[in-house]
Amino acid sequence: MKTPPFQRRTFLKGGGSIAIGLPLLEEMLATQAYCARSKDVPVRAFNVFFGLGIPMPLQDEGFDGVMEPLKPLSEKLLIMRHIDQYRCDEKGINAHFDGSAAAFTGEPPEGEAKSKGPSIDQVVRHALYPEGLPSGMVPTLNAGTYFRRSRICRYLHSYNFDGTASARMQESPRELFDRVFGTLPVTADPDAQKARMKRSVLDSVVSQYKHFTGANSPLGAQSKSRVADHLDRIREYEQRAFSMEDRKSSLSFSPPDSKLPHGGEADPNGQGIDMPLDKLVEEWRLLADLYALAIQTDRVRFGGITFLAAGERLRIKGSYEYNGRKIWDFDDARQLNASGDKGCSHEWWHKFNEKKQNEQLRAHAHMKLREVAYFLQKLDNSDSVDANGKTILENAMLTISTESGDGRHANTKRELSGVFHAISSANGRFKTGQILDVNAEGLDVYNSMLQAMGAKHKLGPEARNQRPVDVIRA
Amino acid sequence: MVMGVNHHGILALPTKTAIKGRFIEFPMRPALRTFALGFLALVQFAAGRTTDGLVVYYDFADGEGKVVHDRSGAGEPLDLEIQDPNAVRRAPGELEITGDTKILSKDPPNKLLDGIGESNALSIEAWIRPAESMQEGPARIVTFSKDTSNRNFTLGQDRDKYDFRLRTTKRSNNGIPSIPSNGNMAKPEITHVVYTRDASGNAAIFLNGKEAGKGKVPGETRNWDKSYQLGLGNEASGGRFWKGTFYQVAIYSRALGPQEIKESFEAGANSGLAPSQESLARVFESKVAPILSEHCLECHDSATRKGKLDLSRKDTAFAGGREGLAITPGKSSESLLWEMVQSDEMPAKRTPLSPEEKHTLKTWIDSGAEWSLEIIDPADFRHLDASQASFVQRLTSREYIDTVRHATGVDISEEALALLPKDLRADGFSNTAYNLSVDLKHITAYAQLAEKIAQRIDLGAFLEHFQIHRDFRDKNMGKAITEIGKWVLRGPLADEELAAYLEIPSTTGRLGGNFDQALRYVLEAMLQSPRFVYRIERQQGSLDNYELASRMSYILWGAPPDLELFRAAGAGKLADPEKAREQVRRMIQNPLAISRSQQFLYDWLNLGRLDNLRPDPKHFPGWSPQLATEMRNETLAYFEEVAWKQKRPLADLLNTSLAIVPPNLARHYGWQPKGSGTARYSLQNIPGRGGLLTQGSVLTIGGDQASMVSRGLFILQDILRGTVKDPPPCVDTTPVPEKAGLTKRGIAEQRISNKSCGGCHAKFEPLAFGLEKFDGTGAYHESDHFGNRLREDGNILVPGTSRPIAYQSVREFMDHLANSPRVAESLTWKIAQFALGRPLAAPDRPEIEKIHQAATEAGGTYGAVLEAIVMSDLVRKRRNY
Repeated sequence: MKTPPFQRRTFLKGGGSIAIGLPLLEEMLATQAYCARSKDVPVRAFNVFFGLGIPMPLQDEGFDGVMEPLKPLSEKLLIMRHIDQYRCDEKGINAHFDGSAAAFTGEPPEGEAKSKGPSIDQVVRHALYPEGLPSGMVPTLNAGTYFRRSRICRYLHSYNFDGTASARMQESPRELFDRVFGTLPVTADPDAQKARMKRSVLDSVVSQYKHFTGANSPLGAQSKSRVADHLDRIREYEQRAFSMEDRKSSLSFSPPDSKLPHGGEADPNGQGIDMPLDKLVEEWRLLADLYALAIQTDRVRFGGITFLAAGERLRIKGSYEYNGRKIWDFDDARQLNASGDKGCSHEWWHKFNEKKQNEQLRAHAHMKLREVAYFLQKLDNSDSVDANGKTILENAMLTISTESGDGRHANTKRELSGVFHAISSANGRFKTGQILDVNAEGLDVYNSMLQAMGAKHKLGPEARNQRPVDVIRA
Repeated sequence: MVMGVNHHGILALPTKTAIKGRFIEFPMRPALRTFALGFLALVQFAAGRTTDGLVVYYDFADGEGKVVHDRSGAGEPLDLEIQDPNAVRRAPGELEITGDTKILSKDPPNKLLDGIGESNALSIEAWIRPAESMQEGPARIVTFSKDTSNRNFTLGQDRDKYDFRLRTTKRSNNGIPSIPSNGNMAKPEITHVVYTRDASGNAAIFLNGKEAGKGKVPGETRNWDKSYQLGLGNEASGGRFWKGTFYQVAIYSRALGPQEIKESFEAGANSGLAPSQESLARVFESKVAPILSEHCLECHDSATRKGKLDLSRKDTAFAGGREGLAITPGKSSESLLWEMVQSDEMPAKRTPLSPEEKHTLKTWIDSGAEWSLEIIDPADFRHLDASQASFVQRLTSREYIDTVRHATGVDISEEALALLPKDLRADGFSNTAYNLSVDLKHITAYAQLAEKIAQRIDLGAFLEHFQIHRDFRDKNMGKAITEIGKWVLRGPLADEELAAYLEIPSTTGRLGGNFDQALRYVLEAMLQSPRFVYRIERQQGSLDNYELASRMSYILWGAPPDLELFRAAGAGKLADPEKAREQVRRMIQNPLAISRSQQFLYDWLNLGRLDNLRPDPKHFPGWSPQLATEMRNETLAYFEEVAWKQKRPLADLLNTSLAIVPPNLARHYGWQPKGSGTARYSLQNIPGRGGLLTQGSVLTIGGDQASMVSRGLFILQDILRGTVKDPPPCVDTTPVPEKAGLTKRGIAEQRISNKSCGGCHAKFEPLAFGLEKFDGTGAYHESDHFGNRLREDGNILVPGTSRPIAYQSVREFMDHLANSPRVAESLTWKIAQFALGRPLAAPDRPEIEKIHQAATEAGGTYGAVLEAIVMSDLVRKRRNY
């Protein structure tokens, strides 16, 4: 089969006024040569998270309700309902945190920044690339537009085998750009002698790390793994700082400064922040564009992307439309008649009552899925066609989930029951075009996915009786 | 043996075990069987086993970890280390080898050499289960050897036979000719294998209590090689691994007689040497107590006692509740606890226990219900995973800056703070090792910073500390790198490290550079080394003096050892506890100890949160960011005053009646400012104030709404080290607003009186009652904005106790907290967590209790707690990886 022409010479437009122009894209495509290019379709896995979830009764409405934005992609997704994560309940913590840690791991948190086990993307990564990814590639990319900070598991959605973060979060478009495409400050010195000395210094540093990750390392397994991660980053640095030095001058683009708060400012004492809808969407879409670009240019094959943290607290304001149709006017603080945290959209989830209309919650959930769909569509356009003629959305294992199903239908397992999930086909491995009531534990669904991907590792307790969910497999 | 899948879809593995000489077949899922077998190994004891002449004994009771402990009680334990834990499956009482690994003695097996060398007789007894019949080589089961050709002895499996090789003065170094068992004996069944040889050379193999082979092995064992290692499951050099399961291995320095062997066999695969209290306690503390804590204590602790049953203490647990005895030792069928759990009636409205948890509970009751803890404290079980201890610690940004300053004299703080990604807080502290991962940004920053430091360093002044000539010849360069590397990297360089660094001057020389240039590049490399960026330790063997010095200095100062400590390490003095203690006391006097303690305070109270406070201007029009900064500074200054200048017991932080604040903050608090600068205020006559909890930095924890839930939970979890579970299902957690006639306290009291909520809310909301008069920004009011009068009385329910202590005023409240042993103990736990860089788990409790006791006896000051921590086994001994 002839490889389709690489048709990514279009403008990447952000949701607002930001656009990355053709010259930049030219550079992106040119630098793709530094990653391993193959006519084979690479195995990829990404976890897409959105905060606060979709209550089960609303999931039951299918594409007629809040899931409407996923309808255009419905043939390329398998919507999975009735997935339970209640084994992940962590005492003393509400479902935002433990449900969030459960997404893509099926395991409870084991600390504020640690899951009890790896996430599915990392299991696939290690199974399919046991010797590591091609040189120069970002091993894992974690990024997102999120504001709630109190616990890292609220927004981080890719974990190593030891349960620690697989990579640090890139929380703004500029950070993401710099992480994937940015030039490094240490590059070739015009003075050839100095350049050789820099090389010599780096060689010495590498040899030190190799010593501590090699067969004679005096370190235990976890520490060795941590130092090995460090060495991986050094190798990436080496590749970027030295091998790519020739094009550093031409890659001068950098996304504009973020207009939204980040770091501690984004979560002032858990009280929430005011958030204009257009600004939120603008930043998210630019970040989603760049993440998609990173995948399209084969800089990234694994990781997680987050649209709003678990238990997010925003006082959103703005007119929300979908396909030219007015859905809702967001004005959380006014509509809740409250300030601070009590004026945040989060409260609509607390107020959910299946006997009522829940207009506000519906509008928020609809908006979240519109933005998730935005990212997915980026991986399904003509710039995302792989060597087999299918799009990245069709070829990669994309898993979409959230923290809570708020399943008030179940007496004992309220919040962690019926957590929304959707997956892409993963190059024909999974069914698509359906909404399926799988009635299974998250762990069993994930393990079935991993098995289909060819990974032998099983998530969850070793002694656990596995219940394969074959119904999702094509 | 027949394997199949039962009607539940569960793999039914008819499993054979031998108890009191009888084989019992029972279908059970492998995991449960594994656990049951292990548990039984700890609780069933037979009369027949002898300890006479016992030299080493492995019962595999740990069920986890990399170490197989020798529990013979004879001399120094000869523990074995599992090289690849992924190649074994462990459960209490058994170890299954599934892959190619080695399990070898860490220390020289001197007691084997001494015991058997002297007696010229031995017995090797093993309860094992081969994975398959056709293993050959022979595949090594128990071996005391060097490689495939050199051994003192080896018990192996050679296809369907067992085979024993023994080196004597009349046998080869390979122990050949060997003594084999009869054929068709090595099967995948639990088997009792004994090889015995007396001083006259009469040798025999017994299988399941019956002789199954014999022969003569003349000679003496005095030619045994002292350098060999004792190993299980593989040759010391590898290549002969045996697949199967160990239940017990014993080695005696005498020949067991046929009757003894028969009795040992009849005692069963699960018999132990003696009912070790220690091992029973270990099972209770590691398996049973976490289950009770997780599933039962929410309603059946000392405070709640639903059904008048308190399962948190031994005496109350065994006394039972309104319905009668909850636990009848030895009889699960007569234990109400088991009955309720088995039927899923309990836990009420919560997730039922898993089958594995139920089995653990039942087996524990049936085995006698050993209860070793005074109290089950749920806080101990918040972090079950002790493996967090094994994450290497990367230097935090602050530690990096201080380390650079101490090592090179360069102040890189401005650049480092700008370039290094922020260390994020996890589990209460920003130095939690598992969360100190690296991003590409770190690598870039380390490289940039190293370059800047190397260029900025004053080489002349720097080199004065060393006996180094600026001479570019190889020999001198090697000496210079050795000396400098030892200092910068906080310990001596290994030969291969030196060789790697020497490449740099070599390149410099080829390019026509000089000594100074070469040294700067070497330093640039060292500053990026894992030994600089991380607190690298050899994670095996005992700690060396340099490692100990680094632990001490980073805990006490957040910085590397100074010259004096470094010299003490070089002289090997730190292994001596008294010499080490002298150093600790000296270091605590250094101002660095104060700044390190303020980092602890900053993280513990999350003072960084204050930078981002943005109270709703409609409700708090007088707020300014300056107030937040002043609140943080107030707390830091107060801490320094109480903990360091006045050297008061740490718990006094809760009730010392003084404040050090600037005029702006004084006004915010409603006080008349004293002049224009920061001043001390005595709070003796100021109502409501006095102690950390009455400072704005802490009062803002409740947010704009001054949430009683948030404040109460903070006091419960961070001051009293208590725990609480989630709201139960189907509870509307939407906050109820205040109104005229209904204060926050009134709303809280409604929650407490609610049947579904009260069980937990009664444990923490009253803790915030005393702070009711403080609004969300810490200002003091006698009434709320609805005109409701506010109160300050309330009560404290200390975790683990049943009777609330009433208080009438904030001052009384703070006095109760300051005088509570629980608060003092909680502070020790917090400081220890920060010192160790990891959340503490139940296995840490014994050491923390010792630390707390020592610190209390020494006055309970911050310095006393630090000294006790640094002198404890948690710091002075290698962590158990």
